[in-house]
Amino acid sequence: MSQATPPPDRPVPVWKLWANPIFRRYCRSRLRPQGLLISLLVVVLLAGFMVTVAWAVGTRRSGTEVDAARSAVFPLLGLQGFILFILGTAQAAGGMTAERDEGVIDYQRLLPLPPLAKVLGFLAGLPVREYVMFAATLPFTAWALWRGEVPWTAWAPLYLAVLVSTQLYHFTGLLAGTVVRNRRWAFLVSIGLVFGLYTVIPRLADFGLVFFRYLTITPVLDSVGHDLLPTVGRMARSLKESGNHGPAQFFVFEIPALAFTLLTQGGLILAFAAMLCRKWREEEAHLLSKVSAALSFLWVQFLLLGNALPMIEQGTIFPSFAWTGQIRPTLLEARIMAGLYGLTTLLLLFLLALIITPSSDKQIRGWRRAHKLGRTSLPRNSDAATSFAVIGALALVGAGCWFWFARCLVQSSWFGQQAVGGGVFLWFLALLVGLSLGFQALLENKGGKAVFLAVIFVGVVPLMAGTVFAILNFPDLASWVAGFSPLAQPFYATLGLIPDPATPEFLNQLPASSRVGTVLAVVAAALLARRLWQARRRLAAGQEAE
Amino acid sequence: MSSVSPAIEIRHLRVDYGSFVAVNDLSLSVPAGEVFGLVGPNGAGKTSTFRVLTTLMEPTYGEVSLAGIDILERPAEARRVLGYMPDLAPVPKDLKVGEFLEFYAEAYRLGNREEWRTRVDECLAEVALTDQRGQWCHQLSRGQTQRVVLAKTLLHRPSVLILDEPASGLDPLARRDLRNALRHLAKNGATVIVSSHILSELAEMCTSLCVMNRGQVLASGSVEDVRRQLGETNRRITVKPLGQAEAAAAWLMSQTGVRELLSQEGAITFSFDGDDEAQADLLSGLLGQGLRLTSFEEKRSSYEDILLGVAERNRRS
Repeated sequence: MSQATPPPDRPVPVWKLWANPIFRRYCRSRLRPQGLLISLLVVVLLAGFMVTVAWAVGTRRSGTEVDAARSAVFPLLGLQGFILFILGTAQAAGGMTAERDEGVIDYQRLLPLPPLAKVLGFLAGLPVREYVMFAATLPFTAWALWRGEVPWTAWAPLYLAVLVSTQLYHFTGLLAGTVVRNRRWAFLVSIGLVFGLYTVIPRLADFGLVFFRYLTITPVLDSVGHDLLPTVGRMARSLKESGNHGPAQFFVFEIPALAFTLLTQGGLILAFAAMLCRKWREEEAHLLSKVSAALSFLWVQFLLLGNALPMIEQGTIFPSFAWTGQIRPTLLEARIMAGLYGLTTLLLLFLLALIITPSSDKQIRGWRRAHKLGRTSLPRNSDAATSFAVIGALALVGAGCWFWFARCLVQSSWFGQQAVGGGVFLWFLALLVGLSLGFQALLENKGGKAVFLAVIFVGVVPLMAGTVFAILNFPDLASWVAGFSPLAQPFYATLGLIPDPATPEFLNQLPASSRVGTVLAVVAAALLARRLWQARRRLAAGQEAE
Repeated sequence: MSSVSPAIEIRHLRVDYGSFVAVNDLSLSVPAGEVFGLVGPNGAGKTSTFRVLTTLMEPTYGEVSLAGIDILERPAEARRVLGYMPDLAPVPKDLKVGEFLEFYAEAYRLGNREEWRTRVDECLAEVALTDQRGQWCHQLSRGQTQRVVLAKTLLHRPSVLILDEPASGLDPLARRDLRNALRHLAKNGATVIVSSHILSELAEMCTSLCVMNRGQVLASGSVEDVRRQLGETNRRITVKPLGQAEAAAAWLMSQTGVRELLSQEGAITFSFDGDDEAQADLLSGLLGQGLRLTSFEEKRSSYEDILLGVAERNRRS
């Protein structure tokens, strides 16, 4: 046997999915006749039952075959959603963690395949049985659409959105399976995310964060649903009257719901694919490079603002409209919405800091490598480089976006003469920069455990204490103590800085604690940044001396 | 320095996990065609070293090259020349033996379907598992699983084989087969680096060794060199005089190199620091005293004893 012959250098073309060994491996293991036939039997039975019942009930109740056939479309869609979104996502997450639990993931890492080919192999391969199960429901759906005389302009966009959403959720599952070490947690995180998208996230949309709705198929379903439902009946009527079926408003543009859904989900799919490729290239790599983290942040802000701003003057952005169906916004809800925007931006900054901040080990390795290559500094986009400047810059952009949103909201024609001046921007800036850089510097200086403790004792405990004081009927003390929490500060900032004569006085005169908290955050960030700078200089000098 | 670059070269390797140093300043060089053993107790740093060698982990410091390829700079190229068998030899539960190997043969692009099937058959034959081709991986015995993973490792004809505890759980017969297989591979030009926490196991199959403990190299070289470097030149000798045990013990106590003497039930056991010649002189001296002996038996410390002793000394220090 000749041992010194390296294998031929002919990587599998990424686009040739059928030639992808990982995809073929899962086709083998997950499409074995015994397991597959049982799954198909269950699916065909369920789909057949749904169509039969819908047809039987529909023909008796509505009297027309068109309506009877249409009444099967939504139940079938529910079954398909369950198969693709829930079972498929769980399989993607569970399959990845199983690879690691069994210990075979190291073999896959060493395979001479491009990272993207590995990602696509797992993406298409792990849930391959769910795709076949979905395909088994298609004849029933095709029959219902045909007999229900559903125009292709209704079902085609919907099923395109279903397939794209499936990819997004499966990517989420893969990512959870790659990052989360425990199989059960990976499963819960991925399923919880899909479940949350259809239950909790729509509530965020009620508060102006409309972008999150486009991570689901709901906007497309709203826009074409009336053509899928029976022509008579309450559901079709309410869908038509809901006012949600128009195109997506994006700044001054009107974009069809499908196109906007694809745009929104496509951006996230690209981001997830990039994260997974990085992880396959190097197990210890950060999920995002500094540049891609910055681009992701800008992309989310762009979509959030683009969606929200045009809805302000229409009044459809306000929670009161979502809840009562009438446009009667109050300044209080506008201020709370602005606070929620600030909190979302802050949490996004924290998340990105967690992703792109290097550990001390990574920094040492980076410096060693830099010195080996004759460099005197780290490349700015390398994982080992500090994320301080990037987070600072993103906080600046975030503060600008937050200010823009709050200003458009409060200065809209709904609230007369309210003014939001430059001082508010400076306060927003101090808050976001202080808290996010404090978080980043603590993470880079002291590591994840210190951050976890800070989150508990600085973020959560003041809120808990405030709740206890509120229950004990000490409202002033409650709001004063809670004001120290960074999680409360965006709301305190918008409530305290934008007064409203119509709201109770205590909501306008929020305690100084939140401002003290912000100032403390800025001071802490400055001190930690100084220590960070000194530590990095020591590290660089130390590695040079090695 | 030889003009031909060694198959495996590690210089000043260090691997840190936070403040814990798993491997500290490891340097070694393995020429092509050798079966090199890395031995040490659990936590010695063997697996960390192997994860660096296989490009699965970036070291904190140090440089590593495989077949002249710098693995930190050109990891993709390095992966093509290495074959890795991890500790516990994991196999997927949902594939049969043939499917498992065909998957990797396909992924390594070993020609067309016929060619890769032939290659799978060759590798299965090499580890004597041809009859298990259609068996589920999870139904194999421990020894068979090890051999299947070895077959997978050989598929793409790597020039450097990195085997983490390949003999653990194998019965003596399977160990002998593994030893023969590794020697056969080395004879054909492959360089094999094997780890184990059992020194005697590696002593049987390796041409040279490196003993590690707590991330550091304690000794390296041939098996005898390693013995010498670990300071284990002393022997334990048991003498059984026919009567006159006290006189024999008294005479032995007065001799140079005799330590830790114990006289019990007519047998005298002691440690002796000396080479073979000194030992022969000691025996002649005993007989010269007019003592009659029923036995004079030398027992060397086992490899495990040496390793345990060194580990214990290190722990104390």
